[in-house]
Amino acid sequence: MQRFHPYTIRLRSLIRVLRYLPLLALPVVSGCKKFLTVLPVTDVSDAVTIVDATSSETAVRGVYRTMAENYYGGLYETFGYLGGDDIVWTGSQSVIQQFISHTVAADNDNLESVWSGIYKTINGANQVIAKVPLVVDPTFTAGQQNQLTGEGYFLRALCYFDLARCWGGVPITLVPTTSATQKTSTPRSTLAQTYAQVLSDLNKADSLLLKDTVQNPIRASKEVAWALKARYYLYQQDWANAEAYASEVLADNTFYQLLTPFSSWFQPASAVGTKESVLELSYNATYTNGSRGNWQPPATGGTRQWAPSATIATLLTDSGRGAFVAQTSTGLWYGNLFYRSPATDPSYIIRIAEVYLIRAEARAEQGELSGALSDLNAIRTRAAQPNSTATTQPDIIQAIYNENRLEFALEPHRWFDLVRWGQAATVGVTNPDNLLFPIPTQEITLSNGALTQNPGY
Amino acid sequence: MIKIDLSRILFTVLLPAFIVLSARAQNNNNTTITGRVYDDKSGTGLPGATVHLKGTTHEVVTDQQGRFRFLTGQHLPVEIIVTYVGYQRKEISENRNSNIDIPLTAVSGQLNDVVVVGYGTQNRRDLTSSISTVKQGEVAAQPVASFDAQLQGKAPGLQINSNTGVPGDGVFVRIRGTTSINADNNPLYIIDGVFVNNQTLQTLNTGGRATSPLADLNPADIQNVEVLKDADATAIYGSRGANGVIIITTKRGNFNNAPKLVVDASAGVAKGSRLWGLTTGPQHATLENEYYTNSEADAIALGNTSGEATYATPPFVGNVWNPTAATNRGTPNLQHTYDREHELFRTAGLQNYNLSLSGGNKETQYYFGVGESHQDAIIRPLWFERSSFRFNLDQKVTDWLSVGTSNSFSRSYRKQGRAGDGPDGGLLQSAINTATYLPPTNAAGTPLDYAGFDNLSILIKYYDMHTISLRYIGNVYADAQILPGLKFRSSWSLDWNNYNEFEYWNNFTQDGAAPTNGLASTILTQNSSWVNEQTLTYKTTFGSKSHFGFVVGNTLQSNLIQSTTATGTGFPNNSYTSIASAAITTSSQTWNKGNLASYFGRLDYNWDNRYFLEVSARGDGSSKFGTNNKWGYFPSVGAAWRIKDENFLKTVQWLSDLKLRGSYGITGNQNGISDYAAQGLWSGGYAYPDNGSTYQPGTAPLQLANPNLKWERTAQANIGVDVGLFADRITINANVYDKTTTHELLQLPIPAISGFSTYNSNAGEISNKGYEVGIHSVNLRGKGFSWTTDFSISGNVSKVVSLSTPIYQYSRDWLVIQQGHPLYSFWLYKQLYVDPQTGNSVFQGQVNGTGNTKNAQQLNATVPATARQVMGNAAPKFFGGLNNTVSFAGFDLSALFTYQYGNDVLDLQRYFGEGGGTRDANRVLQSSQLRRWTTPGQITETPRETAYGNNYVLQQNSRFLENGGYIRLKELSVGYTLPAKTTAPLHVKLVRVYVVGSNVWLYTKYQGPDPEANVTSIQTIQGLDLGTPPQPRSVQFGLNVTF
Repeated sequence: MQRFHPYTIRLRSLIRVLRYLPLLALPVVSGCKKFLTVLPVTDVSDAVTIVDATSSETAVRGVYRTMAENYYGGLYETFGYLGGDDIVWTGSQSVIQQFISHTVAADNDNLESVWSGIYKTINGANQVIAKVPLVVDPTFTAGQQNQLTGEGYFLRALCYFDLARCWGGVPITLVPTTSATQKTSTPRSTLAQTYAQVLSDLNKADSLLLKDTVQNPIRASKEVAWALKARYYLYQQDWANAEAYASEVLADNTFYQLLTPFSSWFQPASAVGTKESVLELSYNATYTNGSRGNWQPPATGGTRQWAPSATIATLLTDSGRGAFVAQTSTGLWYGNLFYRSPATDPSYIIRIAEVYLIRAEARAEQGELSGALSDLNAIRTRAAQPNSTATTQPDIIQAIYNENRLEFALEPHRWFDLVRWGQAATVGVTNPDNLLFPIPTQEITLSNGALTQNPGY
Repeated sequence: MIKIDLSRILFTVLLPAFIVLSARAQNNNNTTITGRVYDDKSGTGLPGATVHLKGTTHEVVTDQQGRFRFLTGQHLPVEIIVTYVGYQRKEISENRNSNIDIPLTAVSGQLNDVVVVGYGTQNRRDLTSSISTVKQGEVAAQPVASFDAQLQGKAPGLQINSNTGVPGDGVFVRIRGTTSINADNNPLYIIDGVFVNNQTLQTLNTGGRATSPLADLNPADIQNVEVLKDADATAIYGSRGANGVIIITTKRGNFNNAPKLVVDASAGVAKGSRLWGLTTGPQHATLENEYYTNSEADAIALGNTSGEATYATPPFVGNVWNPTAATNRGTPNLQHTYDREHELFRTAGLQNYNLSLSGGNKETQYYFGVGESHQDAIIRPLWFERSSFRFNLDQKVTDWLSVGTSNSFSRSYRKQGRAGDGPDGGLLQSAINTATYLPPTNAAGTPLDYAGFDNLSILIKYYDMHTISLRYIGNVYADAQILPGLKFRSSWSLDWNNYNEFEYWNNFTQDGAAPTNGLASTILTQNSSWVNEQTLTYKTTFGSKSHFGFVVGNTLQSNLIQSTTATGTGFPNNSYTSIASAAITTSSQTWNKGNLASYFGRLDYNWDNRYFLEVSARGDGSSKFGTNNKWGYFPSVGAAWRIKDENFLKTVQWLSDLKLRGSYGITGNQNGISDYAAQGLWSGGYAYPDNGSTYQPGTAPLQLANPNLKWERTAQANIGVDVGLFADRITINANVYDKTTTHELLQLPIPAISGFSTYNSNAGEISNKGYEVGIHSVNLRGKGFSWTTDFSISGNVSKVVSLSTPIYQYSRDWLVIQQGHPLYSFWLYKQLYVDPQTGNSVFQGQVNGTGNTKNAQQLNATVPATARQVMGNAAPKFFGGLNNTVSFAGFDLSALFTYQYGNDVLDLQRYFGEGGGTRDANRVLQSSQLRRWTTPGQITETPRETAYGNNYVLQQNSRFLENGGYIRLKELSVGYTLPAKTTAPLHVKLVRVYVVGSNVWLYTKYQGPDPEANVTSIQTIQGLDLGTPPQPRSVQFGLNVTF
């Protein structure tokens, strides 16, 4: 027998064993790629999102939800009413106070939240607009496919409209975002371009959306697009078109009606999705409306961060709209439009009352005074108020302005209306720069110079 | 020649289970000699000892159990020489050829300890890396639920802060600093080879703090804790090594030992030794009136007529006591004082019982441990209870195959509450924020609450929030000795945790009050993590001086966390607490899974025990990362030179050891980020109705894909020295290190016009540099007497080297992570002084306004946002511990001091309690408010009370930044072991009685109760003290009996 030096034995043995070392890896290598690919189930890959009729429907619902969670249902509304001098600040957060005192700083957190929320909604709408028309699914009727695409266009129009009245001209993005840097250097469009985009989207929506066949104010339909068009033309002071589209909506009195008594469109708690609403956003126990907590006092589980001023509270009480407000046991006023527990209160985007007042204003501006008065009085009558005594054009217009203030005291109208009417000075804003909010600081920082700040900020 | 049965190797490799294989073929011409080398004290087998046959060149190395076996042509008797590092050389003459027992005696001194390293063990003498060991008993003395809290001051480089005194809550643990912003910074914990989860499963709000999953482990079962610090030690753990590794070895039995039963019982009490100083009712009223008087004067000076009217009448006036009124509450002397603080704090009870049985025969060793621990928190009504059971077994199947298992089962029950931030349901918040003059009930006895805080008595009475954690941690392994020196090991491990949370707020509490009418939530979270691991270990010696070894292996790991939540509101009445009774219910679910596949290897070589070289590497593939970067590779190299064994030092008597070490390596981090961080995702949680109120599913974009997302990468260099003096009476280990972390895993903000606000990416760089020194000294050693001292000191300096945008921390942005500054920096307006003439605060960068007087100019001053600055830091400049142990005539005494120096704490509790009257009835006034400026010429840092100027309205005021340094007598224990002659007749081996005190004494300039307090478990925040319960002072009496 051959004799080996012991070390040689050891080395040789070792080498013989090591030859089989790769076997260790066998069970791993074979399944490794699969093992290292874990697909989530709570959230799914963005590769398989809008592929058939069902997924088109879920994606469109998602845009409504995004809008209801990230922009309406809390902060966006505050941009519309805080600046109108009728709401007072009672909380501890100076981010709210800045809107009331018209000293909104560019680093105000709420600006960033709303701006992000609107663009998040836009990205969802862009997904729908880009992908739903391409879906090939035999169960999809052409009408359905158009309806869903039209909803995408409508929601995007509303987003750009809401952006324009807060910030002026904004960056316009019309395609789904697929990478982090894709939109970084998108510059601001002008105000005119932004409004042009709103109109273009509304026209698309108008052509694609179906007319109402049932009463359903929580989703967009052709009539809803007309209502927003009416508001759009009002903001453009295109009185004729504003009147025309308002009339189209008002013609449908099957599904849209002024409800009486006044409070019946929001009380009792079961009064959701009423015929008063042209469009409202839906909330339930899982997805609650953030407005409630800010308006309601601690005794009913809220924080009463802001509240109607004593002045407006009195005005509302005296104008048949006392149901909007209530008082705590110690006599403090609080807003009571959002009051349900859990907070399933709808977020009201367009009410039929607004359509009446749009037409009233458009008619008054065109000198159709009796028509204007008739629309105005429809609103007053519903609030159990006598007909307006105004007779001259300026008086009638001012009466319509006053009615707007009361009718939408707790909804996002007052500040935008004052700006639109050129009456911001009545709430102490004389510097025209302050008619627009500043672009959020972080957006400007992150845009690599593509975004410019509004003047004065 | 040794024949190798190929089939056996294949089997061992591929089917590493408990398979008995055919006997080894033998060469009948030779004699087989087998035996075992073990430690003469513990009986533990000594792996890697060299067994040499005298007169031949033939030698073998013992296996993991200390066994050896070789074939020889020599005839009996044989002369056997055994050498093993750290033990005395032994030479025996042996007639038998099997079962030769060779006990070795250890050479005294710490350097000879066996140290557990990644996938193996090494002698401390041979280490090239930086590893600290904390021994048995040192992690079980204090009454804290999780063992990690007990490591404070016991291992250099390991920073421990007990941020709260609630037992079972998480502890802040850092090894050599914080490296990450969004990924996890906690070390990797490995218990008996099981990679255990140390991320809390707590979802319910407990006021900012989170529970510790490590509290499920009974500290009494722990044998050893090793802290692996440098890259050489941790790189073999690759992607999880960047924050250091803590390896826990639990107790096992001993082969050939009679059964040993140990019973340990202790009980004691705990109390908050320092609490908050609050004003009395009359003091509060006086201060509030003064605020009105001053404000009125200022309003006049500023020409503010409405202000003049507002502050014209102080609230505490009139002859009628009417504290809840807005005005005319009665003069200060009429006010009562209601002590809510002492209603909340209590003397807490502590009980701890442990029983263990261990032993073994020739083939089997076992350990059973049973433990029961109950700890009341020092605030009502919280407590923690753990019942645990451990079973460890090792079985020799054949002379080359052994199998074993480690198992720990536990149940932890936590009675919980919100003991930190947040008004509703906040225990401390309602106790120490409600003004003391306000009565808890009205005249009719109806409970009252104030300013959004719950009524304390209601909370204590009805608090219903608890969690049950059921935990199994265990593994099975098989070890096969394939060849002398070559060992194969395969193991399967499982960490399973069922975590069940419940809370119910009845209609007396704010959260459950009408219109909610009761609110209940239950959350069931399950975490399961399995690991399969194969290693092949080889150790050999060439000639007499060349030592070589390697370990290679692979692991597969999968971690799944799933959770189901149900919430109900609208309960019929307070007797119905099950969600089944709720009118409105909502529910939710999450599912997160991450997989990791890895290969690793380590080669070590040393020549003559003088020159050491170690190289290791790991490749990790993670399911978390982008398709382009799934795999990360983590190499390291370490070298050491034992200078002492060079000829020029051999004769130096006083120097018993001198070794120089150096290492460099790369480790990674992937923990703490979402399992799907790299994937483009749409979320399904966007339901919306098509019509009416019936909700239909909805989807929306959630997250952008980043196919390039990859490992956070930490490069670390370490230089160390180990010194032994006077026959190792004094040993010193010192290290300096430099860690640089790049490709930080960050949720980087991106323009919101994209529809997304952040993007998971790799950006930014953080550096940590530091030193650590540990000294162990046997001061006196005699018959029946010894005194040893351990001292450690460590310092770390962190710096954010690059970060594109500052990241602000916590509400009101109290802290900031900003390029060029260290982590844990505060962001404040600096109050320079209080003007002795006017009593107004003067801030750095302040621009005085107009006015006729200095006072008016100061009150009209503005402090621009640009004046806000990075100042102060919550991380200490250095920290450590000093432990003295004395034993004499059956008595043993140990005293551990821990200390921190150079850290700041932002005393937010004082910020809220020192509002100068601005918050009136909404907040308590702390007694520190009494130091306010009142008289011209007065020097104080607490400004004059007023509504105007910046004295009390500038929130982020540096006045509340305090020195958080401290020295603490963390642990003091005295024990007495009864003489054997007393206990022997009772058939008892050992009886020890003891007393342990914890947090016995504290020296600090910090004004709050506990300088270690921190309100949140957010890992990038330290030093924010907002109503966090302090660590209790406790004393326990115990009895330990060994049968």
